[in-house]
Amino acid sequence: MKSLVLATTLAAVAPTLQPAPVPAPAARDSAYHLLNRFGFGSTPGLVDQVATYGVLRWFDRQLDLRPASDAALRDLERSFEVLELSPDDLARQFAAERRTRLAARDSQPTGPMLGRRRALGAELQQLAVARAGTAENQVLEVMADFWTNHFNVFYGKSLDRIYLPDYIESTIRPLALGRFSDLLIATAKSPAMLVYLDNAQSIAPGSVPPFERRVRQEPRRRRRGLDRFPDSAMATLRARMPTGLNENYARELLELHTMGVDGGYTQQDVVNVARILTGWSIRRPLGESGGPDRRAAGGYRFNEWAHDRGRKIVLGAEFPAGGGEDEGLRLLTMLASHAATMHFVSAKLCARFVNDVPPDGCVDAAVAAWRHSGGDVRSILRALVRSAEFWAPANIGTKVKTPFEFVVSAVRALGGIPSSNPALALAVGRLGQPLYLQSAPTGYPETQADWVNSGALLARMNFAVALAAGRLPGVAIDLDRVAPPTSDPETLIRSIDREILGGRMNPNTHAVILREIGSEGSPAGARALAIGLALGAPEFQRQ
Amino acid sequence: MITRRAFVRAGSLALVSFGLDPLFLDRAAYALGGRRVAGSRTLVCLFQRGAVDGLSMVIPHADPRYYRERPRIAIPRTALIDLDGGFGFHPALAPLEPLWSSGTLAVVHAVGSPNPTRSHFNAQDFMESGTPESKATRDGWANRYCQHHREHAETPFRAVAFGPELPRALAGSAPSLAIDDLRTFGLRTRSPSANDRLTRAFEDLYQGSATGLMSSSSAEAFDAIRMLREANPSRLNPEHGAEYPRGRLGASLMQVAQLIKAKVGLELAFVDVGGWDTHVNQGTDDGQLARRLGELGQALRAFTSDLGERMADVVVLTMSEFGRTVRENGTGGTDHGHGTAMLVLGGNVKGRQVAGEWPGLDSSALWEGRDLAVTTDFRALFGEVLTGHLGAKHPDLVFPGFDPSQGASLNLFGS
Repeated sequence: MKSLVLATTLAAVAPTLQPAPVPAPAARDSAYHLLNRFGFGSTPGLVDQVATYGVLRWFDRQLDLRPASDAALRDLERSFEVLELSPDDLARQFAAERRTRLAARDSQPTGPMLGRRRALGAELQQLAVARAGTAENQVLEVMADFWTNHFNVFYGKSLDRIYLPDYIESTIRPLALGRFSDLLIATAKSPAMLVYLDNAQSIAPGSVPPFERRVRQEPRRRRRGLDRFPDSAMATLRARMPTGLNENYARELLELHTMGVDGGYTQQDVVNVARILTGWSIRRPLGESGGPDRRAAGGYRFNEWAHDRGRKIVLGAEFPAGGGEDEGLRLLTMLASHAATMHFVSAKLCARFVNDVPPDGCVDAAVAAWRHSGGDVRSILRALVRSAEFWAPANIGTKVKTPFEFVVSAVRALGGIPSSNPALALAVGRLGQPLYLQSAPTGYPETQADWVNSGALLARMNFAVALAAGRLPGVAIDLDRVAPPTSDPETLIRSIDREILGGRMNPNTHAVILREIGSEGSPAGARALAIGLALGAPEFQRQ
Repeated sequence: MITRRAFVRAGSLALVSFGLDPLFLDRAAYALGGRRVAGSRTLVCLFQRGAVDGLSMVIPHADPRYYRERPRIAIPRTALIDLDGGFGFHPALAPLEPLWSSGTLAVVHAVGSPNPTRSHFNAQDFMESGTPESKATRDGWANRYCQHHREHAETPFRAVAFGPELPRALAGSAPSLAIDDLRTFGLRTRSPSANDRLTRAFEDLYQGSATGLMSSSSAEAFDAIRMLREANPSRLNPEHGAEYPRGRLGASLMQVAQLIKAKVGLELAFVDVGGWDTHVNQGTDDGQLARRLGELGQALRAFTSDLGERMADVVVLTMSEFGRTVRENGTGGTDHGHGTAMLVLGGNVKGRQVAGEWPGLDSSALWEGRDLAVTTDFRALFGEVLTGHLGAKHPDLVFPGFDPSQGASLNLFGS
């Protein structure tokens, strides 16, 4: 049977390992590796299923799964209130809460998340954990995480507390396995990104917003007894009025989203990208101003008045005078297929899926697939997973899990079902990766140097022990699925090795667990301790 | 790096594990310390996140424009604590007055970043990376200090942040600890005996099969646990009648003091304190800002009282990502500005001075016509503190691309 499984897998793998075939690890090892990199780890029994089904066949099937077909996930999502609320709903609720606080003269220090904002923010974080933990389509969840991080938006920045949930649902997730250019344009137009990187406020120098025109007419209005704007309010509004370009988004678009810091663009390119994107702005959402407001719902808006209509040149390409919103679309399309972008983003994918230091071979394979498919994420991933480097022994079990990957994979390993209680999300935050709270536009880092520190390792050990002991709220675990209760320690440890560590348990780990459970009174206590130690062990920190 | 850490581990572990001798920590320091005795000097960085209103923390009361621009929120001359005829402390900083008078506290005014951003997150990022011209810098300035100044005794407690995460300033390849609470640092169990067992089990797991950074970091973690258990800093109660204010800031500073007293080699401590983003109803001598400053003043006063003579080896440096608008806004607060004020106290700081060039509040002197201009680059201040207090020899490597000779010395240290 085992050789048959191996044969099935090899049949799927063999034609693609060019030019020199790399010896494929046993099917189970391949499945464990694949589930760790293109999924958030295995669940009890899943490694065997994938190994039997064929690893590449499983992978290709993942790419074709429809999210709607995952009934269990749909059920779970229904318990998350944040999914029911539109940006306008959120704006209204936060504004109401703010009015209540002001009325109560409660001037407590403000942090990124208070009250309702804090609760919904934690729920949003937990939603990411719950989806990653339970979704059948693991590749989608992994890529949603990848793009959320690549196109990072900070929940604590201004109106992003309102826009972020919608950004994840409507911008990132539907396009996570789509075309890169679509994703780039969607993020560029998303209110979340426009606010986060300030493009919403970037205007052509000298352009005058309709509001300012009204203010300029103020003396006339006042003569007519229409004293609508007191002096102080006018001064404040003027002080907040944008006066010119904001290069923030333009720079990050080139540096982080597309070409990379060494992509070959100049400061003049940054300025001209900013000029091309002037006018890409937002309608503020209903109710945000705190007063009655009949304006349309918040969202993307192109402000003709703010657009710089002059001639621009970016990376040698001319954008003639007189262009409008269309020239921004042309720019983004151009950037999405630029050679530097293909290379930069492919290398980032390889750093995530193959090795902290992306090997040339898989970067080349990803770039070739990108070129061939016009930036189709599915095609790029297919090429990546079929590259020799992905399966090279030197790249197996070498990457350290991020806190998010660690927590989710631990929950999955124990067959855990997360609820909407944010305990797991808070644990991810305590381990150093509070989701959506990375303020820097770089997103969270990917390399082990960024995640391994002494406090963080201790926190992982504590999490492992608490989870296995059933002490964490917000998740129902089922240790029976890992190992049935037994009084034979060797059988117990073998089951744990097989289900949790993919058979990679170090002999030292085996010996230490054996020693420690020897003094545990009950089989149940021994099992919980053994599983806690395994989840906290060095092997489980790696993928 | 690994070799160095391996040495550290071997050295301190050997001494600590057999450290029944009450002097073991000093011996460990001696054995490992190279040219400097561990724990001899400490710099405490206190980050006021959210951008403190420097103009109402240290008030330029001789400048009539301050009062003209802030009809509702200026601190009245009768309420403030005059420092030198030109500047005065916010009345809530009254606990700091004795430190000013005794000459151990200096103010640097109109300090900040050369980067024009008014974004909290960008500005904090720049102030912590220490490279306001470049976002690509991955490590923080405090970590680079540790990377390039190796003569300090290696101890897991050399650089410690009080909080759940490592601040950006400490990110990088040099070891550093993030401690949420000294009393609970380590593995959590129901009983001390279970704790010993679990700690030993995990230590054996990691010693046996961890490699690379995971190996060295876990070794540091277990060293830290062991040193904490031996030194037991949590038992070191505040001395000299020091009363820390309730809340996170007071608790953090109390723990910094405990680590200093325990002589575990703490050289860089990071403490965060939030709540400075006073856009609405910031108040005058009473109100939101006054409450935050009151907590700050009490906490710093308690810290210096608690440490007593040990303050000769300790400097506290406050910092904030930028200042706030000179003019009050329409909602009784202030918006994001540029220059701010920072406090330096302790050690051999030449106190009782408001250092830095004061640009004034004339509209022609304001930055972009609205904010206090920055006349002292924060890197000049941080660099001078690192050099003057910790004896840093390579400030150029801590703040790459910054030439401190561009500006005049603040003359904060020495005779």
